[in-house]
Amino acid sequence: MKPENQVAARPRLLNERNMHYCPGCSHGVVHRLVAEVIDEMGLADDTIGVAPVGCAVFAYNYIDVDWIEAAPGRAPAVATATKRLNPSRLVFTYQGDGDLSAIGTAETIHAANRGENITIIFINNGIYGMTGGQMAPTTLEGMKTSTTPYGRRPDLNGFPMKISNILAMLEGTCYVTRQAVHTPASVRKTKAAIRKAFENSMAGKGTSVVEVVSTCSSGWKMTPVAANKWMEENMIPYYPLGDLKNE
Amino acid sequence: MGKEVKLMKGNEAIAHAAILYGVDGYFGYPITPQSEVLETLEALMPWETTGMVVLQAESEVAAINMVYGGAATGKAVMTSSSSPGVSLKQEGISYIAACELPALIVNVMRGGPGLGTIHPSQADYFQAVKGGGHGDYHLIVLSPKSVQEMADFVGLGFDLAFKYRTPAMILADGVVGQMMEKVVLPEQRKRRTDAEIAEQCPWAATGNKRGRKPNVVTSLEMDSPKMELNNIRFQETYRRIAENEVRYEEYMTEDADYLMVAFGSVARICQKAIEDARAQGIKVGLLRPITLWPFPTKPLEALSKRVKGVLVVELNAGQMIEDVKLAMGNQIPIKHFGRMGGIVPNPSEVLEALKRDFID
Repeated sequence: MKPENQVAARPRLLNERNMHYCPGCSHGVVHRLVAEVIDEMGLADDTIGVAPVGCAVFAYNYIDVDWIEAAPGRAPAVATATKRLNPSRLVFTYQGDGDLSAIGTAETIHAANRGENITIIFINNGIYGMTGGQMAPTTLEGMKTSTTPYGRRPDLNGFPMKISNILAMLEGTCYVTRQAVHTPASVRKTKAAIRKAFENSMAGKGTSVVEVVSTCSSGWKMTPVAANKWMEENMIPYYPLGDLKNE
Repeated sequence: MGKEVKLMKGNEAIAHAAILYGVDGYFGYPITPQSEVLETLEALMPWETTGMVVLQAESEVAAINMVYGGAATGKAVMTSSSSPGVSLKQEGISYIAACELPALIVNVMRGGPGLGTIHPSQADYFQAVKGGGHGDYHLIVLSPKSVQEMADFVGLGFDLAFKYRTPAMILADGVVGQMMEKVVLPEQRKRRTDAEIAEQCPWAATGNKRGRKPNVVTSLEMDSPKMELNNIRFQETYRRIAENEVRYEEYMTEDADYLMVAFGSVARICQKAIEDARAQGIKVGLLRPITLWPFPTKPLEALSKRVKGVLVVELNAGQMIEDVKLAMGNQIPIKHFGRMGGIVPNPSEVLEALKRDFID
């Protein structure tokens, strides 16, 4: 192939390791976007990622920047110190809904409330993927999981949490957006959102949050195509896409 | 000109010593009886002078994970708390140990269990010297008996933590944290530059990746044979520490018939009891462990061949006595005298206990 004919390639920072993610999982796409944006911004040698506990715990195996692997939910606390002690670096966390909106709620809200100059990439697939498909705070009403086998009941399990809406209310956040990666157009919008968030972090504007409404075909027990359709019909109406805050 | 002597609380000395050592970051949370560490640092505003970061976290859990995040980038970072707060920190301490990161944790102990009392205690001995969190690990545990040692052990703790890439703890009782004494503070040292950190900590996730592969700080290893090798490496580090870093102090042991073993402020109460005992013709000495881990096993073993009985005095129900018994064997009687729940004994109680167990 002539170089001029090549229209797509593996991003330079996304290494050759085979990803462990399931077919149809949104993580692979978001990883690619993060790798592309870091490189396009010229920050390949100036970035520290903070990995969560959850399926993305191994994010550090795929994107070739420095990484710190945090305890469950603690990534925003880890990133707080990492950024304050290394203010010239791009510092971002990459977290799932269980990590960010259950065990790490306090760390997430307080890092955002302090306006830490970090970006939080938030994968919301409404389920605990890695531990085998248990209910998350974001699990939709009626949704079956291994710990809500008859469907989530608000009287027993509470309501699906819109944590990005809470974060958007805080003075410390400058940019809170909810995106998806299930269509080419949505992938492009998510990439633009990640870029904006990283630019905010480097400009010291406060905390940026990019929620990506995502699929978990294994956890949802659906084919990737059916998972995308289910997400469009069920997740996105409850978690509508678009900017919640952009200052 | 001589060195300037100041009068301050042990907790305040920790704060001053941290700035003077060139610590990069302190992350804390208010809890009695250690809040003066955070308060003093906020009042001194070291970010204006040395550039040190000081942050009041939303919880003890967040504070120790901030320490983890800072330590992972090679910075000299610390936190302080008191017993209930240190229980919350155990998660983060285990991760810091597992990632082989240097850090300093200060526990100014209060009486427990539970919320307990704000008064002094030594009831977190087991938690401190046995690891405290999940998994097989140790902390280097330093036990100060004075405000001077509170100041001195900040630097010593960081030096050892960086030498062995393992977290160190200052395990102080509430007495040492709250009492005011004379102290000579160390000279101001410069904080390390990023270039010095890159050279001294080639493992650190500094974010400055130029000319090297990505650095990943993680405690996760899904391949169990590799995870066992990690554990073997940790244990080798602990073996080297135990071989090289035991610190202790002996007082009037040369001619002693009886030995007291005590740490922290209790060692000073014992010193007074020993003076009173000697005035009555009873020859008593004291061994004060300065490092509670590694424990001064060998000097105690040597003393077990010279003394007729041992009294271990602690502000707890009997914790360090287990390590004393492991060191001294079962050839001589080893007794315990402890006060609990925030009560500190006076020297006459200690002397009475000694006489009751060995003389009367």
